[in-house]
Amino acid sequence: MPESIPAPLIIDTLKDTFREARGTSTREPLGWILSVPDTHQKTVLAALDKERALRVVTCATEDEANAVAAGLWIGGEPCVLMIQHAGLYASVNTLRGVAMDGRVPIFYLIGLLSREKDRDLKDSRHSMVRFAEPLLDTFGVPHARLEGPDDVHRIPEYYRLSRERRGPTAVLVGLETI
Amino acid sequence: MAMKPEEVLRAIAAARGDAICVPTMTTSPAWRTIAPDDLSVGCTGFMGGASSLGLGLALAMPKRRVVVFDGDGSLLMQLGSLATIAGARPRNLTHLLFKNGVYHTSGAQEIPGGLSVDFVEMAKGAGYRKAYAVTDFDDFKRRLPSMLSDEGPLLVELHTGLADKTPMTDRGGLSFNQQIDNLRKRLDTAG
Repeated sequence: MPESIPAPLIIDTLKDTFREARGTSTREPLGWILSVPDTHQKTVLAALDKERALRVVTCATEDEANAVAAGLWIGGEPCVLMIQHAGLYASVNTLRGVAMDGRVPIFYLIGLLSREKDRDLKDSRHSMVRFAEPLLDTFGVPHARLEGPDDVHRIPEYYRLSRERRGPTAVLVGLETI
Repeated sequence: MAMKPEEVLRAIAAARGDAICVPTMTTSPAWRTIAPDDLSVGCTGFMGGASSLGLGLALAMPKRRVVVFDGDGSLLMQLGSLATIAGARPRNLTHLLFKNGVYHTSGAQEIPGGLSVDFVEMAKGAGYRKAYAVTDFDDFKRRLPSMLSDEGPLLVELHTGLADKTPMTDRGGLSFNQQIDNLRKRLDTAG
């Protein structure tokens, strides 16, 4: 059964991920979070408001977040996109144009709002939950699930993978964060 | 009389110094001829993204000026970026809006609202530090140095006519990912 993940664990993991990406550089902020608010990850977003080491840029749309990520990457800055599955659907053309055709490494943390605890994604009653993985598969975007605290290692792993393959990767946040 | 986009771009090329420029749509063919360097990256393949691409560059490189050459039809596709940019408050971002009232590339159909759309008021309302319109080339030349040095985010609505070429009539140029690679090498961020 999937479990909710505490916000501090996700934020600490993001910080470790950015530290690794920065290497010896002491530049501030440690990393950038490009967010289009996601109810599913609201505890993380709330905690990020008080976080000084990371800079959050709230974007009006996921399309913008993708393009901002490209600019940051060109300038050598590490970032993570925090969006919701609905935002993934809304921004597939930009994902294609920026992360795939532009070969910009973009790592997405995608909240699966309404994901049921007792059902696999493919059996969800909600189309927005069911279609997330098939859509990523269609676009050839490597992805993994965060099904509980033991899975947070997927965050640095898929962040690294986005850099190695120079393209998009995603981690799907299974249950609402706490 | 509306300004010629190519004249505007030539003046910018002469004054930009080491600013990173982000052309899109009808400014792209002219810009790659006027400024064939690697210190630019065009928004290609995701129309409407130039302003956000410029924002990312400006945040990543706060000591360097970033100048976006947006289009009115393009900006309408991601109008929320005005608020996103204003919220992020990049001091080094100059957002030049080439306003011609039409989607030139697809055959010059009028954009929603045509020339009556007031992007200056929109940028001010979103929270840009400064926004104004320029309709005359002499006035443009006079104000260009401050456009490239004033604290941003700054939006300047440039009343221009149609460019001689569009990305459809002049399809050359590097792909988006090649432009990115060149710019990263130039900025020494390629790792």
